[in-house]
Amino acid sequence: MEILRMDNVSLTYETVESETKAIENISLSIDEGEFIAIVGPSGCGKTTVLSLISGLMKPSSGTITLMGKPVDKPGAQTGYMLQRDMLFEWRTIEKNVLLGPEIRHTLDDEAKKEAEELLKKYGLWEFRKHYPGQLSGGMRQRAALIRTLALRPKLLLLDEPFSALDFQTRLSVCNDVHAIIKSEKKTALLVTHDIAEAVSLADRIVVLSNRPSVVKRTFEVDIDADTPLGRRENGKFGEMFDKVWKEVSV
Amino acid sequence: MKKQKSEHELFIAKTKRKKVGIMAIQILLLVAFIGLWELAAALGWIDSFITSSPSRIAAMLGELSKQNLWVHIGTTLYECVIGFIVSTALGCIIAIALWWSDFLRKVLEPYIVVLNSLPKIALGPIIIIWVGAGPSAIVMMTVLICIIVTIISALGGLMATDEGKILLLRSMGASKWQILTKLVLPGSLPTFLSVLKINVGLAWVGTIMGEYLVSSAGLGYLIVYGGQVFKLDLVMTSTVILCFLAAVMYFAVALVEKLLKRR
Ligand SMILES: Nc1ncnc2c1ncn2[C@@H]1O[C@H](COP(=O)(O)OP(=O)(O)OP(=O)(O)O)[C@@H](O)[C@H]1O
Ligand SMILES: [Mg+2]
Repeated sequence: MEILRMDNVSLTYETVESETKAIENISLSIDEGEFIAIVGPSGCGKTTVLSLISGLMKPSSGTITLMGKPVDKPGAQTGYMLQRDMLFEWRTIEKNVLLGPEIRHTLDDEAKKEAEELLKKYGLWEFRKHYPGQLSGGMRQRAALIRTLALRPKLLLLDEPFSALDFQTRLSVCNDVHAIIKSEKKTALLVTHDIAEAVSLADRIVVLSNRPSVVKRTFEVDIDADTPLGRRENGKFGEMFDKVWKEVSV
Repeated sequence: MKKQKSEHELFIAKTKRKKVGIMAIQILLLVAFIGLWELAAALGWIDSFITSSPSRIAAMLGELSKQNLWVHIGTTLYECVIGFIVSTALGCIIAIALWWSDFLRKVLEPYIVVLNSLPKIALGPIIIIWVGAGPSAIVMMTVLICIIVTIISALGGLMATDEGKILLLRSMGASKWQILTKLVLPGSLPTFLSVLKINVGLAWVGTIMGEYLVSSAGLGYLIVYGGQVFKLDLVMTSTVILCFLAAVMYFAVALVEKLLKRR
């Protein structure tokens, strides 16, 4: 089933000094359960695409439909995980995770139960009364993902969720996040400029060009492995990486 | 066999020793200062008519307490505390309003900057004419001195809220009111606490300045009066009481800070 559809979406940033055409005529379709990665050079408009899908901005032209309905404001269908974890330092992990339901006035016993299950399942239950400052970078990132999942989104939007982590942590958190998303059967759209990350995580990779960005090419990733680490060890990984890398850099 | 102390216990003991040592030296310094002052006055190294002395201050304190010392203390304390509370509350409310409305903030910015650099004491005569000579004029003076700084610092704290966190809340569909109450206000607590501390000091400046200008009671009044009739004992005694009150108020605020920070 199709979850998201973007048709000829363009966006121009207007400021007093200049007009910046960030993205131009981007069309994209995502089916339920897919894991899509968008890669492209820095500043090409990846974050812009996510902001548009989440309803934080309106496209200059083109249409975006989510679950068959046009997107015109931030809604209950998407969960946006930003570049940094954005945990509130004065709230416990538990309270951070429940932020979404609290904002949406859906904080009932069911929401609490669900958050509890997520925390237990993904190893943060013991730390529920801790403050973000007492957690490691990887744990914080996991907490941020659980906070996003507690919104019960149909579509997860991930904006370089691992960029703040060091390489070792990054590989293991990447594994965790992938496992969590797969076991929750969520549809996800990941934005990154790390090609290896995209190849190890995604079912499909969309390559954007330089600004104003258009969809340059789409790759189906077909590597037989269950985890991102497994994929990295697979023989086909290097080949896929090269293909995508060439497309990004020319 | 004696139980070996753990590394952590040793560390705690050491920190404690250091703390006690610092406190001892602090007390010693005060005692030495008072002692030296008394000694110098008794031996005639200094003219105690001009410098007063601890014993003369104590005597003056006894004499005053039989008269209307409490009225003076009460007056000053009342003016200072009311001024402090009004300026802090009003200043924070104005800062929140300015955070809320970009338009209002941009319109009022130059006025706030000018008011901040204006020496508020220059407004003294105007205040007296407008609100009359009395405690309300002094409270007004205190409020004027504190409020601009409160607005500027509080607004700075509110505006420093992480844009990314605002974006996160917006992506969840939060209203502006929710952004204010769930993120901006709790995130600005440290700024608010430092505003409180700054205001304690400024409120005293405002009150005493106000009393110098116009008053018929209060510690500032006693100091001015004592100076005019050359009763240095009175001046020194009032100053000592003032020091004491200011310290008590500062520690009260520090206590509030501790309570708020303990989560
Ligand atoms: N609020 C804004 N006003 C004006 N121009 C903007 C604004 N936000 C982004 N841009 C411009 O739009 C372009 C795309 O920005 P965007 O943040 O989407 O890029 P990105 O691909 O996410 O970059 P990065 O990989 O560095 O995160 C950039 O050139 C940027 O300068
Ligand atoms: Mg970006």
